[in-house]
Parts: sequence; structure tokens; C-alpha cells
Amino acid sequence: MSRSHFDSGEKVKKKLKIIGFLCNWCSYAGADLAGTSRLQYPADIRIIRVPCSGRMNPLLVLKCLQEGADGVLVSGCHPGDCHYQEGNYYVRRRMLILKNLLEYFGIDKRRFHMSWVSASEGAKWADVVKKVVEDVRDACEEEVKTAG
Amino acid sequence: MIIKKIKTTAKDLLTDGSVSLIIGYGINGPGDVTPVFIKDPDDVEKLVWNDQCYYNLIRYLSDRDFIEQNNGSIGIIIKGCDQKSLKVLLSESQVNRDKIKVIGVTCKGLMDSDGNVLAKCEACDVVYPDKDFCDVIIGEEVKKKEKEKDFSDIDEIDSMDLPDRKKFWDNFFERCLRCYACRNICPLCYCKECIMDQHNPQWVLPSASVVGNRLFHIVRAYHLTGRCVDCGECERVCPIGMPLRKINRKIIKVVKERFDFESGKDQEQKSPLTRYRENDSEDFII
Repeated sequence: MSRSHFDSGEKVKKKLKIIGFLCNWCSYAGADLAGTSRLQYPADIRIIRVPCSGRMNPLLVLKCLQEGADGVLVSGCHPGDCHYQEGNYYVRRRMLILKNLLEYFGIDKRRFHMSWVSASEGAKWADVVKKVVEDVRDACEEEVKTAG
Repeated sequence: MIIKKIKTTAKDLLTDGSVSLIIGYGINGPGDVTPVFIKDPDDVEKLVWNDQCYYNLIRYLSDRDFIEQNNGSIGIIIKGCDQKSLKVLLSESQVNRDKIKVIGVTCKGLMDSDGNVLAKCEACDVVYPDKDFCDVIIGEEVKKKEKEKDFSDIDEIDSMDLPDRKKFWDNFFERCLRCYACRNICPLCYCKECIMDQHNPQWVLPSASVVGNRLFHIVRAYHLTGRCVDCGECERVCPIGMPLRKINRKIIKVVKERFDFESGKDQEQKSPLTRYRENDSEDFII
């Protein structure tokens, strides 16, 4: 939240620390597929596997941001595809509230993202990561700028 | 006279043994209203009723140890707004409704110690407690005012630029003492061990720093999602005057708009985070 790893003075883009919480059944397999298909995407994301996106406690996201992560991504199965039938429906509600709260307190909404990536969507996973990294970088740059 | 009726009702309930304790409002000194606990029927003279009775007494009902000490048979004096808190507690199975006696009192708006009408009273829509919910109702029936909820103060903050909004809140986070008064007064914060007091794992920085305070206030508000009834007690007790209702009401607004849910209306309804609709909006998902 306060400690940003971004330094606008450097020419080489500094690596960001983005934490990705991926559900075991869809998104993690999707990311795996992206790897086995040799798709290129920025390496700024660190992946943590969770048994289901429904396991996501908002505290996990907040803790990441508190400890200095630049951004957080939560990814799960598409609605209706949850291995446990309904986990992603619950997390969708939870993360909506969290996203609204973060924004309300002046934390850039581009730092927190959520996506649905299925096990067959390796290409989508690469796109999602690209977008998230871009967004988080923009947010960091803007924060450095406004902080003067 | 309302107060006369409150006293006789309390006396009757205590003498016929249906409750062993009455929680009501008493007086501590000139102009100083305080909660009182009455066990002896002769003590009912200590009860008062005026426009300073702003305490939300439901706080005591969410304390399980306290209820057990009194065998659960408690009579409690509530206003229309307190009734909402009680309904949330009932919907979460925290209180045994059969054992408590609810004395609802018509409230015509409360004042703070400086004589200003409380902000929550200006937006009040529950002057008269539910007839079929309370065991006894005191005071004349007032027609329910159907008021559209006014969130203009929330929209005002929402319309600020991001850095300004951050500054607005950080100004309070810098001063927050982490005294936890907001948590301790909240009738709905009843966890035996609060996550803020946990050390292993330690989720939230315990020091009163901006980072820790920001997280504390996010978590505190988040835990009240779909539960907070905007009784305003947290804001009243805050020693640094942080506008905590503005945080709670933000969530109330989101929950109402996105999940079409209002807490404290129906005790059968479960919190919106324990339910879902397949067609919930997901415009924030990429």
C-alpha cells in the first residue's frame, strides 16, 4: 500500500511484485497450459495456488498489499464451472465489496483485479497477466507522480 | 407518560419472574444518561427516558457470557433503530428470542450532549418499533416514514480524485489511536477472539500506523458487510471523531445497489455474503 517498488527514474522497467491467487482446478491449470504452450507473458506475477477461488479471504489480498505487493490478482473458474459448484459465486460477491472499499479509501482500483480463466485458456491467462501488469504499472507510475 | 409505562412494565416483568434483569436507561448525573441494569423490582425508579438515550443497548445481548450469567432471561428497552441490530443478531442465531423480553419505545429523535439532533435520527425510518416483533410497545404509534436512503455524503467522497480521497482518509488514519472503541461498542462485533487481537498469524499490524490503521478500518468495515444497521455508535464513541458512518454507509450503499439487500429488515434473511445469485453483476472482472 505505501511501499511501492516502482521507481520512475530508472530506464529499465523495474520488476513489479504482483501476487496471483489461482484456483487449483481452472486458473492454475490454465497458467500451466500457458507455460507448456510456451506463451510469453511478463514475469512480474507470483502465483499462489488455492484449492478454490471461494477460499479467498479478503484478508489475504489486504495482507499482500500491506506487506508491499504492488498488485493482487484473484483468478478462478468461470461461473458455473466451479469444481465445488458454487465457490466462485461467493468470492465474486466478496471481492466486489473489497474492490469498492479499496477504491473508497484511495487505493487505486487497478492494483486489484479478478478474472475467470479456465484450464483450457492458456492464451487468455497470458493476456490477463499482460493487462494486470500494465494496469499495476500505470497505477504505480501515477502514484509516484502525484506524490511529487 | 412513556416513562411511567416503562417503569410499570419493568416492574411487572421482574415481579412475575419472566425476566431476571432489565437493561434500560438510567441517569448518572445531570444530563448524563447511562445504561442501567435492574434486578430488584424496587429499583425501577432508576429508569429514565429522554432524548439522550442514544446508547444501543443491544450491545449487551451480543455478549454471550453476559447472557449466560443471567440465564438468558433479560428484558431490554429498545428504540426502533436498536431493533434492527437485534434482528441481525437473531438472523445470526446469536440470541434466543424466546428468552428475552423486548420493550419497544417510540423515539422522536435523539440529541447529543450539545443539544444537536443526531445525524442518524435525521435519516431515521423506524420511529415506531414493529408491533409484532416487540413483546411490549410503549408510546403512541407513529406512521412509518418511507424515506429514500440518502447517500449524497458518500457520493461526495466517491467523486473526489483518488489522491484527494486517499488524503482525506489518511488524515484520519494518521490520528486513529487503535483504541478499538468502535469495535467494542458495535453490537454486531461479537467474535470471542477478534482477528485484530490475533498474533499467529498476525493479519493486521497492531501498531497505530497509517498502514495498520488503514487495514484495520477496511477489515472492520468489511466484517460488517450486509450486517451494519447504521446505528452510529462507532462514530459516536470515536475519540478522534473519525467519520466511521461514512465507511459503513458506503458498504450499505454497495450492498443495496448490487445485492438489493438491506440489513435489519427481516430476521429470516441471511447476510448477502452467505448467498449468491448466478446473475450477480461481474463488471469488475476481466
